[in-house]
Amino acid sequence: MLLQLKNIFKWVQQGGQRVFLLKDINLEVEEGEFISIMGPSGSGKSTLLNVIGMLDTFDEGEYGFLSESVHTLKEKYRSNLYKEYIGFVFQSYHLLDDLTVEENLEMPLLYKKIKSSERKALVADMLDRFNIVGKKDLFPTQLSGGQQQLVGVARALIGKPKLILADEPTGNLNSQQSEEIMELFKKLNEEDGVTIIQVTHSEKNAEYGSRIINLLDGRKI
Amino acid sequence: MLLNHLKLSFRNLWKNRTLSFLNLLGLSIGIGSVLTLMFSVYAYYVADSMIPEQEHIYYLKTHLNDGNDYNEVVYPLLDKIKNTSPEVKAGTHLHGWGDVWLEAGDKEFQNTTTYADPEFFKVFGLPLKYGNHNTAFKEKYSIVLTDKVSKQFFGEENPVGKSLKAADTLNLTITAVLEPISPYSSFRLGVLLPNTLLKDNPIFKQQTNWNNSFSPIFLKLNPETDIALFEKKVDKLVQENYADPSVISRMEVMPHSEVRMDSIPVVEIIIAGNIATSFFVLLLVLVNLLNLNTSTMFRRTKDIAVRKILGGNSKGVITQFCLENGILVLFSILISSVLFFGFLLPKMNDVFGADFGEINFSLKNDYPVILGAIVLGILVTLVVGILPTLRFVSLPVSQGIKGKIDSAKGSFILRNSFIILQFSIAILFICIAIILNSQIGFMKKADLGFERDHVIVGNIDLDYKNMDAANSSFKGLLNDLEANPYVTYVSTSQSVPSDYYFNYTTFYDPNTEADVRFRRSYTDDGYLKTLQIPLIEGRDFDSDIDNGEETPVIINRSAMEAFGWTTIEGKRLKYKNSDFIGNPIVGVMKDFHYQDLQNAVEPLVHYYRDEENLAKHRYLTVRVVDGKEKEIKNIIAAAFAKIDSRKNYAQGDLSDKVSGQYRLIDGMLKTVNVVALLTIFISCLGMFGLISFMAKRRIKEIGIRKVLGAGVLKIVVLLSKDYIILVGIGALIAFPIAWYMMSAWLGSFAYSISIQWWMFALAGSIAFFITAFTLGIQAIKSAMANPVKSLRTE
Repeated sequence: MLLQLKNIFKWVQQGGQRVFLLKDINLEVEEGEFISIMGPSGSGKSTLLNVIGMLDTFDEGEYGFLSESVHTLKEKYRSNLYKEYIGFVFQSYHLLDDLTVEENLEMPLLYKKIKSSERKALVADMLDRFNIVGKKDLFPTQLSGGQQQLVGVARALIGKPKLILADEPTGNLNSQQSEEIMELFKKLNEEDGVTIIQVTHSEKNAEYGSRIINLLDGRKI
Repeated sequence: MLLNHLKLSFRNLWKNRTLSFLNLLGLSIGIGSVLTLMFSVYAYYVADSMIPEQEHIYYLKTHLNDGNDYNEVVYPLLDKIKNTSPEVKAGTHLHGWGDVWLEAGDKEFQNTTTYADPEFFKVFGLPLKYGNHNTAFKEKYSIVLTDKVSKQFFGEENPVGKSLKAADTLNLTITAVLEPISPYSSFRLGVLLPNTLLKDNPIFKQQTNWNNSFSPIFLKLNPETDIALFEKKVDKLVQENYADPSVISRMEVMPHSEVRMDSIPVVEIIIAGNIATSFFVLLLVLVNLLNLNTSTMFRRTKDIAVRKILGGNSKGVITQFCLENGILVLFSILISSVLFFGFLLPKMNDVFGADFGEINFSLKNDYPVILGAIVLGILVTLVVGILPTLRFVSLPVSQGIKGKIDSAKGSFILRNSFIILQFSIAILFICIAIILNSQIGFMKKADLGFERDHVIVGNIDLDYKNMDAANSSFKGLLNDLEANPYVTYVSTSQSVPSDYYFNYTTFYDPNTEADVRFRRSYTDDGYLKTLQIPLIEGRDFDSDIDNGEETPVIINRSAMEAFGWTTIEGKRLKYKNSDFIGNPIVGVMKDFHYQDLQNAVEPLVHYYRDEENLAKHRYLTVRVVDGKEKEIKNIIAAAFAKIDSRKNYAQGDLSDKVSGQYRLIDGMLKTVNVVALLTIFISCLGMFGLISFMAKRRIKEIGIRKVLGAGVLKIVVLLSKDYIILVGIGALIAFPIAWYMMSAWLGSFAYSISIQWWMFALAGSIAFFITAFTLGIQAIKSAMANPVKSLRTE
């Protein structure tokens, strides 16, 4: 089992009342799964994803990732954990505008203190695999949305994560572009065995996954 | 990783190149100015450090009952003190007695000549380049040179043992050469002579009584000396021995470190001003960078969050940011050094050199300044690199990734107070500049009590080689001038306005029992006419009747009032306790400003002296018909070219000479003007960066407002309003401070303007318009943006 959420609650105080963002979430994810989280706006999809990605904390419950229990870990270990095993893909790509495509891909490797020659090889590999060798010296703003997301996915993959978390990865893309990205996810999941959890609004995109989780008002239904 | 940081830093700086350039510009000019100011302060503070045991050296200050004070004492006092006080280890006089011309081979120069006692080097153990302290003043006919004079005569050679001929007659042996002395030191030396040389001089003998104070004395005291007790002792000696001790209120034993402030009182103000200005400019630069950097950080919240998700940590972010600022600071230090050596230092020497001497930078002695600049640079980098990042690195990733940070009130207040602080400083300097300008304008244009235009002033104190021949040629020139139709009046005198000697003589009126201290000068009968100084009572000098045995005098109105007289009818100018019946007072002239307007008009007496006596006058003044100045100047210059003298004849206009008195204040004004411009420039720079960032942050708001129908003007007002208010608050803080400071400063002038409300209004308006202009550019740009585009950016 890759990860397990047990009775997760998350709330904020608003006007003296608890407003629940997540309410009693239980979830088990096996390695190699492709899960789609669905639900209307404000139902807690992104929050859930952030909690799984350890970018956000929760107020109650237990979270086990591989053999670690995340809720007992200190911030530093937690961030080491997600650096090692999780890759993120965002709706608005979140590429670093100051860096070229190549440098964007290299960035996570730099933080992992991988040697220069090895970094170059991994980046070249990734550029090759995503067919963006010709674009390596361009800046994100010079690319189309689909191409930017392609770089975003490539960047998430370069650290060889076990899990990819994608928050509406096709939200800013047109139908053709989103189809390409979804095909890519599917391929990654099937051929490389990468576990993927995506948040999506689109029924069609959700179909790519092996399992759909529906949320409403922070509750799993 | 470092290489990666470096690359990114350059790329970031380049990406925001307008902002980087502005930052660089502000920093360079700021650091350059601070460097210049601090260098002069540094030079000032270390200048006297070459005097060993300076802390044990003292001098005497005489306080008079009328509130005046001076450092000169009567000559015999030193011996008296030495004979009665065992705590005095050594003591010396230090005074001038006319600067002598020295000759070696075919070289002849005149330098500042100072006479000292043989014990001079026991008091001031100044380091010697050649020779030794014990033998320097052993012999009567010895001379000690400063390094400068030694080079003047002998180049790099060691001149000890060689001889110089003084005043064509005396052979002096060079016994020592001093190490170079900083121009900011308390010593203004050229050559040093032992005062044993003067012992046989009849005039010197006559002056060295218990009556005449003309030389300061310097004492080296035992470290254990109780200064208060010693002071009482000196006081007692003075009261017992002085010819007229009643005018003296007390004697003060002053530490030698005070002597520089004493000799040029504005030094204190200039040094304090320099320190304060450097501090403010530095603060301004720092605040500016902090402000701009905080703004940049807002734009980078998303970046930081993404980096964190990708595995980065806050250390990397800080390093990156410090590096960017470090590059900026490094480059601006480089640029500011170029500014410093190429422009600011020469400029400063131009402005202050005439009064304080020129200072030069030497790596050997002044390396602490460079070290200081580097340390300062590093500190600035760390502060502006780390402080703004602190809030952002601790931001939770899930918030940062949305590019939003809670716009906490705290930072808002902080930033606003920064802006207020900046503009307070800028407006303060503008106020100072305006008030200074007005005061200087007032002093230059004020009615001085004499007519300064169309008057030629020539210096005729030229060390003539043949006095008789010179006198007869001069007589011929005077006749020519008087016959010239374009010359209205001619006069010779010891002094002209702006250059009256600072020698005081106390006169006494037995009837009113008033002691009055007078400044004195000698003039011929044409002086008052030439300068058109009106007489209030009595008559002008007249060569036909005044060449008798008695020398008549003319006093000014202040003198008459000080004596408590209403008329001078039958009055004479007398000394106290003297059998001399006194000089007849023949006239009273209006109080004219014979010195600058910083000083009040003090009682003044003119003694009559024959016009043609070239040896006893220093100035020739000629009033000419408008437009003929050049012609007459040529005639006079041609006449003097034929007279054999050591110095060359030099002449100019009286009006220039009078304005020249304000050269130092003019210099201060120039400095303040530059600083005022600089501060407002730097503040606006910060403002510009800030509002461009704010506009970016509010891009959506502006879009929505425009969609809802707001016009361009409304948006401009919306964006600028807050800042204008901040500038207003800054002005309100600056005005009272400026008022307080400048009232205090103007108080040091005997004649000053009163501070008017329009000066503050003007300062405020200048700041306001510059700010409005800066804001306007950016605000209009944002207001004109197409809302469709700006709303899509989210």
